[in-house]
Amino acid sequence: MTRYALFLGCTIPARQPHYEVSARKSLAKLGIDLVDLEGMTCCAPPPLQSIDLETSLSMAAYNISLAEEADLDIVTLCTGCFESLAIANNLLRENAKLKERVNKILSNAGKEFRGNKEVRHYLQVLMKDVGIDHLKKNVTRKLGNLKVATFYGCHSLRPSALLKFDDPERPKLFDNLVEALGAKSIWYRNKLKCCGGLLRGYADDIALAIARDKIAMATKAGADCLSTLCPFCFLTLDLGQFLMKSTYHEEYNLPILHYTELLSLSLGIDPKELALDFHKIRVDKVLSKIS
Amino acid sequence: MDEPKVGVFLSEGGNQSSKVLDYDALASFAKNVAKVVLVERAKEFWRGDGLKAIVNAVKTKKLNRVVVAERLPKLSEVNIVKAVEKAGLNPFLVEVIDLEDHCARPHRNKPAEATAKAKAMLLAAIERAKLLEPLEKLEFPALKSILVIGGGIAGMQTAEDLAELGFEVQLVEKEPFLGGLASRAGRFFPTDDCAICIQAPSTDVKSITHTSRKCVYRSGFTEIQNLNVLTNSKITAVEGVPGNYRVTIEKKPRYVDEQKCIRCNLCAEVCPVEVPDDYNVKLKKRKAIYINIPEVYPPVYVIDEKACKFHECEKCVKVCPTKAVELDQKTEKKTLNVGAIVVATGFEEYDPSVIKEYHYGEYPDVVTNLQLARMIDCFGPTGGSIIRPSTREPAKRIVFVQCVGSRDRRWNPWCSSICCMISLKNAMLVKSADPETDVTICYIDIRTTGREHEYYYERARDMGIKFVKGRPTEIAHDPEDNTLIVDVEDAVSRKFLELEADLVVLATSMVPTQGTKELASMLGIELEQDGFFKEYNAKLRPTETKRKGIFLCGGATFPKDAPTSSLHAHSAALKAAKFLSTGKIVKDQKTAVIDDEYCGDCEFCPVTCPYGAISLVQKGEDHFVAQVSELQCEGCGICVGTCPLNAIELRHYRPSQMLAQMKALMSVNGTSKPLILAICCSECGHTAVDSSGMAMLEYPANVRVMKVPCTGILQIHQILEAFKAGAQGVMVVGCKTDGCHYEVGSPKAKKKVELAKMLLKEYGIEPERLEMFNLVYIEGDKFAEVAQTMTEKLEKMSPLQLSSS
Amino acid sequence: MAHGKTAKSSGKTFLEEVRHMLGGETLASCYQCGTCASSCPVARVSERFNPREVIRQSLLGEKEEILFGDALWLCCSCYNCQERCPQKVEIADVFYALRNLAIREGKMPNIYSEFSAGLMSEGKIVPMSKFLEKKRADYGLPPLKPANMDTLRKILSATGFDKLKKKEEPQ
Repeated sequence: MTRYALFLGCTIPARQPHYEVSARKSLAKLGIDLVDLEGMTCCAPPPLQSIDLETSLSMAAYNISLAEEADLDIVTLCTGCFESLAIANNLLRENAKLKERVNKILSNAGKEFRGNKEVRHYLQVLMKDVGIDHLKKNVTRKLGNLKVATFYGCHSLRPSALLKFDDPERPKLFDNLVEALGAKSIWYRNKLKCCGGLLRGYADDIALAIARDKIAMATKAGADCLSTLCPFCFLTLDLGQFLMKSTYHEEYNLPILHYTELLSLSLGIDPKELALDFHKIRVDKVLSKIS
Repeated sequence: MDEPKVGVFLSEGGNQSSKVLDYDALASFAKNVAKVVLVERAKEFWRGDGLKAIVNAVKTKKLNRVVVAERLPKLSEVNIVKAVEKAGLNPFLVEVIDLEDHCARPHRNKPAEATAKAKAMLLAAIERAKLLEPLEKLEFPALKSILVIGGGIAGMQTAEDLAELGFEVQLVEKEPFLGGLASRAGRFFPTDDCAICIQAPSTDVKSITHTSRKCVYRSGFTEIQNLNVLTNSKITAVEGVPGNYRVTIEKKPRYVDEQKCIRCNLCAEVCPVEVPDDYNVKLKKRKAIYINIPEVYPPVYVIDEKACKFHECEKCVKVCPTKAVELDQKTEKKTLNVGAIVVATGFEEYDPSVIKEYHYGEYPDVVTNLQLARMIDCFGPTGGSIIRPSTREPAKRIVFVQCVGSRDRRWNPWCSSICCMISLKNAMLVKSADPETDVTICYIDIRTTGREHEYYYERARDMGIKFVKGRPTEIAHDPEDNTLIVDVEDAVSRKFLELEADLVVLATSMVPTQGTKELASMLGIELEQDGFFKEYNAKLRPTETKRKGIFLCGGATFPKDAPTSSLHAHSAALKAAKFLSTGKIVKDQKTAVIDDEYCGDCEFCPVTCPYGAISLVQKGEDHFVAQVSELQCEGCGICVGTCPLNAIELRHYRPSQMLAQMKALMSVNGTSKPLILAICCSECGHTAVDSSGMAMLEYPANVRVMKVPCTGILQIHQILEAFKAGAQGVMVVGCKTDGCHYEVGSPKAKKKVELAKMLLKEYGIEPERLEMFNLVYIEGDKFAEVAQTMTEKLEKMSPLQLSSS
Repeated sequence: MAHGKTAKSSGKTFLEEVRHMLGGETLASCYQCGTCASSCPVARVSERFNPREVIRQSLLGEKEEILFGDALWLCCSCYNCQERCPQKVEIADVFYALRNLAIREGKMPNIYSEFSAGLMSEGKIVPMSKFLEKKRADYGLPPLKPANMDTLRKILSATGFDKLKKKEEPQ
């Protein structure tokens, strides 16, 4: 059993139980033990970084310090959380002055960031602790005909120097993990570009225009579904298609699935257990292709 | 050494000295100093009657030390020293000081204080002179032969110059053929003539005169006497000293007899092995036995060892009509003895495949400027037509991308300086071959700094070549119609463009050739941060290195166009010729000496010496001592400052000489202010003092200047001694830390001063009593300013009382 | 940009101000090659935003235009530009620095006020739905652990975050 402190974040419990359910079930099945720590706050993602970077770094460092106290590495489901925590972790490790500055702030709360624990995205955990071979062995339902457009999102890959997740221009990790399930990862134009999600709430029209490009390109390339790693990307692209219908009069009906959902399905978990009715775009098309 | 007999010569010239200084007092003061046997006064001593007076005094009074106070020592000293030498005295026993710019002018409003300071200065000069030792003039033999490394445009021209000047020249080229990168450029800018002449051998020496042709190489390059060309060869070891290097060369086998090959091409026709042709940047394939182009030197086929199947095949052996193919040739080792080495290893195109967003190496229709140049060349892989490598169809829409890997801090931060012109040239050649071709250049800035270059840019616009001001974020490929899409913002029109292209040409950065690092370490010369060879001084010694006898030219120091490479090549040839012209190297003995008894073979000095003049030699079973090469030593003294055991001294700046000088400078005050010793390096530091005097700037007379070769010579205990000698403050004045004339001296001194400050604190002495200042020659105003502020600072402190113990 | 507008004399000061902010350190390296603009998904679909131009304005010291303008809030933090910038300008981070400055000057878009309020009340920027919290057991999910508000408030007070507020717009 490999143990990790789970950093759940805000959006997943508040909006996307299907993500959490599929993640907890599939990771448990693969021998990953997730520990829920007491007292974790928001990771301090870009919206808070926009308000005050120093506060954001301090909050990320605070959350990491909780894992340090529990002597556990952190795993995140949300790419946004991954980015905030991994940037803070690596930046503060590299920059002693900044670390000192942040620790001075944390000392007000009796906490200290040491930098002796890792922050991992769950894809990295799958690759490192489970491994492609072991994963393949556990696949009971091959996603044989399924053409999956993988979408890394921005904050798994960039800024690459601090995230160290994968080659930012030629990432493979996600595609390899999709193909390990027996599905086909397909190429589509602007695959590595943003979904626009972070502009929702400030400039919804622009956010939608960007999301539309994403959905259009994946559809054009013949995808059966688009797979995400992040609740924000999911929301933007899933709910977004409803808005595209009303704004652009375009209907795509491209199912958006979190990778953990694809994983759960291929590990033989019953779709009824996965709270799939939280999807705005029905996933029946996908289910019918794989069962 | 005889008992010192010092003659003191006081020049009263100068518009301030005579008005400010009391020369009667100075003369009688000097007369009373021990060992002074003569004091003379005159208007000037550095020429005419004054100079005769010195010579006469040296002869008649049997002087063996000469102290002269004269204006502008940097000019006058040379004359005085020469004259003294003619009079029969060792020229190193002369000390010249400047009472005008260092005393009378800056202190002109306090004549009494100035005279007191002048006394101290005179005394210091006399005390130092007494301790000076005669030094010899050294001569070292030098071979009149030269190795030129690299047979490109620069190396070939240097080699030619030197051979024609009568030196034995060995030209070593690592490739099987001469010509280098420039010969593959198709055409040259801005002359638009062909590049091929660089690699071509002479055709008819008699009918071609040097002045009638643009390409001197063709004018009988291979027929030049004293010039030996070694292709397919590389340097594997360099030993010896300037004037006498022993260089080991490994000459790879050609597997074809140079005398027998008649270039009939039958071998290549039967050869079954095809490999990508590096000469044409993999745009076509060639056989394992090949020649780059028909007109090339040496005009002999060569076998690619990595590709040939040798005895398994032997088809070429069987077909060769002259039995020229010899598959059993072996690598030859050669030793060359040369007096000097010229490095002309050039530069090469950066491999842009690391810039993944441009997909070079992945999309076949993304090529580099060199690849395009090969296509433009009628001897090239496409016979002169511009095609898309993916389909071999003509390329009708071409987009150039500038600054690929250049001006990019992720890869190479420098501007490669020639790529704008290369792209303009290639774009125009493409456009003039087929005016229908759509050509766009995406640029950040267009740099056309050379003569005629801006006309090039004008002509390109005139021809209808389009310019987009923006650096593309990526090159995409649409598999449906096999089109490349260049994603770029035109900042001028604020438009986002998706330029469709059949061919995208990357103007890649230019980087040092492979093997540059290894060669530099063999030669013991330095590289700049960018990886190119570092010149001695970019302003005045652009083709020399800090190692005597090793010269640089062409693209080895930075990317250059053909005209600049040529200039550089001729300059290097002249420098190398000057170095070896007399067959000997003459040099003075202002060098470091090592006391074997004290040397602890710690390796500090060999590592620190900027000239590589110190090495460790075995003395006894496991005992090594440092040894100074008098030939290479420049007498800066940085080793002295580095040695933890005080085992090194400079012959012309012994600690005893410096101490005597220090004590003398502090012996007379004459002002009410605290005495300050300003230890100035002989380069920027001391000349900054000169320039402050010349500019008639004032500072208080309590500031006393002592010259050292470089501030790097300073040892911490010397600073303490200065305080002990009576200084209330010490200023160390050196060159800028990045402009030290001995490279590392001034930054080292800066660190040492920091250390000494800590030590002073330990002793309970205010660390502010010691400061380092880094000035350049023209910063006389700064010197005056810091001398003033330092004095004011010290005046606020209570006097320093050091026990005489 | 409006016709005839010239760089403010406060240009240098503003550059220095930004460079001293966390995230703003690399601003001055920009040489306006436009790689950021062509990398930007927002600039592609909207004329309201061009990262190259915002950086340009910052370099020219047009403080008011930037801090009280709309463009500043249109970076989607995708880091495409930053990844590819040949001068290693940390563009997305510069935007954070500029936004931090704008907020200190009292310009806080509504959505950010909501995030800030959420953080200060629950420790989360997306408020938890009571309905979903109750349903967790049905999905087999463990109960949620609340954020440690006491600690968080200490951090927010140490950095002065709790004082950052939107100023009322002048009439």
